Amino acid sequence: MLEISIFSILALFMLGGSIAMLVNKQTLFSAFGFLVAMIGLAGMFALLDSRFLALAQIMVSVGAVVVLSMLTILTINAKEENLPHEPNKYKWIAFASLLVLPITLLIYKSTSALYASFATMQTINSKVVGKLLFSEWVLPFEIVSILLLSAMVGAIVIARKDVVQTQGEES
Amino acid sequence: MTPELFFLLSSVLFSIGLVGLVARRNLFVLYMSIELMLSSVNLLLATFSKVFGDASGSVIALLMIAVIAAEAALFLALIIHMYRSSRTIDSDTFDRLKGQIND
Repeated sequence: MLEISIFSILALFMLGGSIAMLVNKQTLFSAFGFLVAMIGLAGMFALLDSRFLALAQIMVSVGAVVVLSMLTILTINAKEENLPHEPNKYKWIAFASLLVLPITLLIYKSTSALYASFATMQTINSKVVGKLLFSEWVLPFEIVSILLLSAMVGAIVIARKDVVQTQGEES
Repeated sequence: MTPELFFLLSSVLFSIGLVGLVARRNLFVLYMSIELMLSSVNLLLATFSKVFGDASGSVIALLMIAVIAAEAALFLALIIHMYRSSRTIDSDTFDRLKGQIND
């Protein structure tokens, strides 16, 4: 009973945050809705006994990604006339919802037909995750580290100042 | 507590992200919709990890979080570059790859 109520509150947070992200015109309010959804997702991970995953979600998604996107939004500081002009936004959203509804039902039916109950297990703490990460999943771990390095280099190169002006010359 | 609720929540979140990707034109909203879709897949992975009683799902979700962080850095750098070159965050203005249509 307690789990159901915690789940309902967190699901309300996540759905409300993501719908607020979807319909707001101002970009910063969308980012706040996204922040609420990410914090709710961390609570969901804690509810699913994945403690280390909840911690990583808080640290990486909330602490780094959302804060970085908010900083970018505030740095760009787009004025009202620079925002995209979307006169019939709600019509588009309703149309796209109708279009996407069969996909939702397909995902839900195909996943929920598989397994009907949780297995009884220990909580997944950092000891279990660390042992798995360095024995069975060590190759994806290394690939992810290379991916992060190349993404860092790529982000620096793309966001550099003279990339727009010196298209013809050598930089 | 059954897994169906988590499956339902995950599919609904994925669909909200897909709707945002189709219906909106603000570049930041597109970016956050993609992040929402990836995060709903993360929720599905954590649910399966508990259903099977196996911690490998959590490990995959952890690697996915790193991929999400890399994607965020690249997408935000791309948005800054696009805003610097054309002073707007409307995704309909970036159509240079379409080329000229002569009829």
